[in-house]
Amino acid sequence: MTPANAMKLNAVALYAISAVLLVAFYFQFAWGELPCPLCFLQRVAFTALAVGPILTLRHGPRPGHYGLIVLAALLGAAIASRQVLLHIMPGDAGYGSVLLGYHFYTWALLGFVAAIAASAAMLLFPDQFAEQAPPARVNRDRIHLADFRRHTRQCGGRAPGVWVRVVSGHARAL
Amino acid sequence: MDSSIAFLIVATAMWAAWRRDPRVVVFLFALGMLFTFAVYLHHATSALPLSF
Repeated sequence: MTPANAMKLNAVALYAISAVLLVAFYFQFAWGELPCPLCFLQRVAFTALAVGPILTLRHGPRPGHYGLIVLAALLGAAIASRQVLLHIMPGDAGYGSVLLGYHFYTWALLGFVAAIAASAAMLLFPDQFAEQAPPARVNRDRIHLADFRRHTRQCGGRAPGVWVRVVSGHARAL
Repeated sequence: MDSSIAFLIVATAMWAAWRRDPRVVVFLFALGMLFTFAVYLHHATSALPLSF
Protein backbone atom coordinates (compact mmCIF):
# COMPACT_ATOMS: atom_id res chain seq x y z
CA MET A 1 0.00 0.00 0.00
CA THR A 2 1.85 3.07 -1.22
CA PRO A 3 0.92 6.55 0.03
CA ALA A 4 -0.55 7.29 -3.42
CA ASN A 5 -2.84 4.24 -3.27
CA ALA A 6 -3.90 5.12 0.26
CA MET A 7 -4.82 8.62 -0.86
CA LYS A 8 -6.83 7.20 -3.78
CA LEU A 9 -8.79 5.01 -1.36
CA ASN A 10 -9.41 8.00 0.91
CA ALA A 11 -10.72 9.91 -2.11
CA VAL A 12 -13.10 7.00 -2.82
CA ALA A 13 -14.24 7.22 0.81
CA LEU A 14 -15.00 10.92 0.33
CA TYR A 15 -17.10 10.09 -2.72
CA ALA A 16 -18.96 7.43 -0.71
CA ILE A 17 -19.71 9.86 2.13
CA SER A 18 -20.94 12.43 -0.40
CA ALA A 19 -23.19 9.81 -2.02
CA VAL A 20 -24.75 8.93 1.34
CA LEU A 21 -25.50 12.57 2.11
CA LEU A 22 -26.82 13.17 -1.43
CA VAL A 23 -29.29 10.28 -1.06
CA ALA A 24 -30.44 11.72 2.27
CA PHE A 25 -30.93 15.18 0.75
CA TYR A 26 -32.73 13.69 -2.26
CA PHE A 27 -35.31 11.97 -0.07
CA GLN A 28 -35.64 15.18 1.99
CA PHE A 29 -36.23 17.60 -0.89
CA ALA A 30 -37.83 15.32 -3.51
CA TRP A 31 -40.08 13.28 -1.21
CA GLY A 32 -40.52 15.71 1.67
CA GLU A 33 -39.02 13.39 4.30
CA LEU A 34 -37.74 15.85 6.86
CA PRO A 35 -35.03 14.53 9.20
CA CYS A 36 -35.79 13.96 12.86
CA PRO A 37 -33.25 15.14 15.48
CA LEU A 38 -31.53 11.76 15.56
CA CYS A 39 -31.38 11.71 11.76
CA PHE A 40 -29.84 15.17 11.84
CA LEU A 41 -27.14 14.03 14.22
CA GLN A 42 -26.37 11.01 12.05
CA ARG A 43 -25.89 13.37 9.11
CA VAL A 44 -23.49 15.41 11.27
CA ALA A 45 -21.56 12.23 12.08
CA PHE A 46 -21.35 11.35 8.37
CA THR A 47 -20.01 14.84 7.70
CA ALA A 48 -17.45 14.39 10.47
CA LEU A 49 -16.35 11.14 8.81
CA ALA A 50 -14.99 13.25 5.96
CA VAL A 51 -12.45 15.16 8.11
CA GLY A 52 -10.01 12.23 8.22
CA PRO A 53 -9.90 11.61 4.44
CA ILE A 54 -9.56 15.36 3.78
CA LEU A 55 -6.54 15.48 6.12
CA THR A 56 -5.06 12.47 4.34
CA LEU A 57 -5.49 14.04 0.91
CA ARG A 58 -3.99 17.32 2.11
CA HIS A 59 -1.16 16.20 4.37
CA GLY A 60 -0.56 12.56 3.40
CA PRO A 61 -1.55 9.38 5.22
CA ARG A 62 -1.17 9.45 9.01
CA PRO A 63 -2.50 6.96 11.59
CA GLY A 64 -4.25 9.77 13.45
CA HIS A 65 -6.41 10.55 10.43
CA TYR A 66 -7.89 7.05 10.60
CA GLY A 67 -8.39 7.59 14.33
CA LEU A 68 -10.59 10.60 13.58
CA ILE A 69 -12.65 8.45 11.20
CA VAL A 70 -13.12 5.81 13.92
CA LEU A 71 -14.18 8.40 16.51
CA ALA A 72 -16.75 9.97 14.20
CA ALA A 73 -18.04 6.52 13.21
CA LEU A 74 -18.36 5.45 16.84
CA LEU A 75 -20.48 8.50 17.64
CA GLY A 76 -22.60 7.98 14.54
CA ALA A 77 -23.04 4.27 15.30
CA ALA A 78 -24.18 5.09 18.84
CA ILE A 79 -26.82 7.50 17.57
CA ALA A 80 -27.98 5.13 14.81
CA SER A 81 -28.10 2.23 17.28
CA ARG A 82 -30.37 4.23 19.55
CA GLN A 83 -32.76 4.92 16.70
CA VAL A 84 -32.73 1.25 15.67
CA LEU A 85 -33.47 0.18 19.25
CA LEU A 86 -36.33 2.70 19.55
CA HIS A 87 -38.14 0.89 16.74
CA ILE A 88 -37.01 -2.68 17.33
CA MET A 89 -40.16 -3.94 19.07
CA PRO A 90 -42.33 -6.31 16.99
CA GLY A 91 -45.14 -4.41 15.29
CA ASP A 92 -43.20 -1.15 15.17
CA ALA A 93 -43.56 0.40 11.74
CA GLY A 94 -40.27 2.21 12.04
CA TYR A 95 -39.59 5.82 11.12
CA GLY A 96 -39.51 7.08 7.55
CA SER A 97 -39.38 5.17 4.32
CA VAL A 98 -37.37 2.04 3.57
CA LEU A 99 -34.60 1.47 1.06
CA LEU A 100 -34.07 -2.12 -0.08
CA GLY A 101 -35.98 -3.34 2.96
CA TYR A 102 -34.13 -1.37 5.65
CA HIS A 103 -34.84 2.02 7.17
CA PHE A 104 -32.29 4.75 6.70
CA TYR A 105 -31.11 4.66 10.31
CA THR A 106 -30.34 0.95 9.85
CA TRP A 107 -28.35 1.74 6.71
CA ALA A 108 -26.59 4.50 8.64
CA LEU A 109 -25.58 2.02 11.35
CA LEU A 110 -24.24 -0.35 8.68
CA GLY A 111 -22.35 2.55 7.09
CA PHE A 112 -20.71 3.60 10.35
CA VAL A 113 -19.67 0.03 11.12
CA ALA A 114 -18.26 -0.26 7.60
CA ALA A 115 -16.27 2.94 8.17
CA ILE A 116 -14.74 1.50 11.34
CA ALA A 117 -13.89 -1.75 9.56
CA ALA A 118 -12.37 0.10 6.60
CA SER A 119 -10.23 2.28 8.87
CA ALA A 120 -9.03 -0.81 10.72
CA ALA A 121 -8.19 -2.47 7.41
CA MET A 122 -6.24 0.58 6.22
CA LEU A 123 -4.22 0.63 9.45
CA LEU A 124 -2.95 -2.86 8.65
CA PHE A 125 -0.68 -1.41 5.96
CA PRO A 126 2.17 0.60 7.55
CA ASP A 127 3.95 1.27 4.24
CA GLN A 128 1.55 4.10 3.47
CA PHE A 129 2.96 6.07 6.42
CA ALA A 130 6.51 6.16 4.98
CA GLU A 131 8.03 9.59 5.46
CA GLN A 132 8.17 11.54 2.27
CA ALA A 133 11.34 13.41 1.29
CA PRO A 134 11.27 17.03 2.54
CA PRO A 135 11.42 19.75 -0.09
CA ALA A 136 14.88 20.95 -1.07
CA ARG A 137 15.89 24.01 0.96
CA VAL A 138 19.12 25.74 1.88
CA ASN A 139 20.15 24.45 5.27
CA ARG A 140 22.11 27.11 7.03
CA ASP A 141 23.13 24.69 9.79
CA ARG A 142 25.02 22.29 7.53
CA ILE A 143 28.39 23.94 8.07
CA HIS A 144 30.82 21.77 9.95
CA LEU A 145 32.98 23.94 12.14
CA ALA A 146 36.21 22.04 11.52
CA ASP A 147 35.82 22.30 7.74
CA PHE A 148 34.92 25.96 8.02
CA ARG A 149 38.10 26.72 9.99
CA ARG A 150 40.24 24.70 7.62
CA HIS A 151 38.92 26.42 4.55
CA THR A 152 39.16 29.81 6.18
CA ARG A 153 42.85 29.34 6.95
CA GLN A 154 43.48 28.19 3.37
CA CYS A 155 41.75 31.23 1.93
CA GLY A 156 43.58 33.76 4.04
CA GLY A 157 41.02 34.36 6.69
CA ARG A 158 37.92 34.44 4.49
CA ALA A 159 35.54 31.57 3.95
CA PRO A 160 35.88 30.17 0.39
CA GLY A 161 33.28 29.80 -2.33
CA VAL A 162 30.43 32.05 -3.26
CA TRP A 163 29.25 34.24 -0.45
CA VAL A 164 25.51 33.93 -0.04
CA ARG A 165 22.95 35.32 2.30
CA VAL A 166 20.25 32.95 3.45
CA VAL A 167 16.90 34.70 3.45
CA SER A 168 13.80 32.70 4.44
CA GLY A 169 15.42 29.42 3.53
CA HIS A 170 16.48 30.53 0.02
CA ALA A 171 20.10 31.30 -0.87
CA ARG A 172 20.69 34.58 -2.66
CA ALA A 173 24.16 35.25 -4.09
CA LEU A 174 25.80 38.49 -2.95
CA MET B 1 -30.74 25.30 15.72
CA ASP B 2 -28.45 23.13 17.81
CA SER B 3 -27.98 20.66 14.96
CA SER B 4 -27.19 23.55 12.62
CA ILE B 5 -24.42 24.67 14.98
CA ALA B 6 -23.04 21.12 15.02
CA PHE B 7 -23.04 21.10 11.22
CA LEU B 8 -21.23 24.46 11.12
CA ILE B 9 -18.53 23.28 13.53
CA VAL B 10 -17.87 20.11 11.53
CA ALA B 11 -17.97 22.02 8.24
CA THR B 12 -15.39 24.46 9.64
CA ALA B 13 -13.27 21.46 10.64
CA MET B 14 -13.48 20.17 7.06
CA TRP B 15 -12.41 23.57 5.69
CA ALA B 16 -9.58 23.79 8.21
CA ALA B 17 -8.44 20.28 7.27
CA TRP B 18 -7.78 21.51 3.75
CA ARG B 19 -6.30 24.88 4.63
CA ARG B 20 -4.70 24.95 8.06
CA ASP B 21 -2.66 23.29 10.78
CA PRO B 22 -3.91 19.78 11.65
CA ARG B 23 -3.92 20.72 15.35
CA VAL B 24 -6.66 23.27 14.68
CA VAL B 25 -8.56 20.54 12.86
CA VAL B 26 -8.33 18.15 15.82
CA PHE B 27 -9.59 20.88 18.17
CA LEU B 28 -12.57 21.71 15.94
CA PHE B 29 -13.29 18.02 15.39
CA ALA B 30 -13.30 17.34 19.13
CA LEU B 31 -15.51 20.38 19.71
CA GLY B 32 -17.94 19.15 17.05
CA MET B 33 -18.07 15.64 18.50
CA LEU B 34 -18.63 16.91 22.04
CA PHE B 35 -21.35 19.32 20.89
CA THR B 36 -23.06 16.56 18.86
CA PHE B 37 -23.00 14.25 21.88
CA ALA B 38 -24.46 17.06 24.02
CA VAL B 39 -27.31 17.56 21.55
CA TYR B 40 -27.85 13.80 21.52
CA LEU B 41 -28.19 13.73 25.31
CA HIS B 42 -30.46 16.79 25.19
CA HIS B 43 -32.89 14.90 22.93
CA ALA B 44 -32.53 11.60 24.78
CA THR B 45 -35.64 12.16 26.89
CA SER B 46 -37.71 13.90 24.22
CA ALA B 47 -41.16 12.48 23.45
CA LEU B 48 -41.17 10.32 20.32
CA PRO B 49 -44.46 10.72 18.41
CA LEU B 50 -45.22 7.44 16.70
CA SER B 51 -47.36 7.07 13.58
CA PHE B 52 -49.04 3.75 14.47
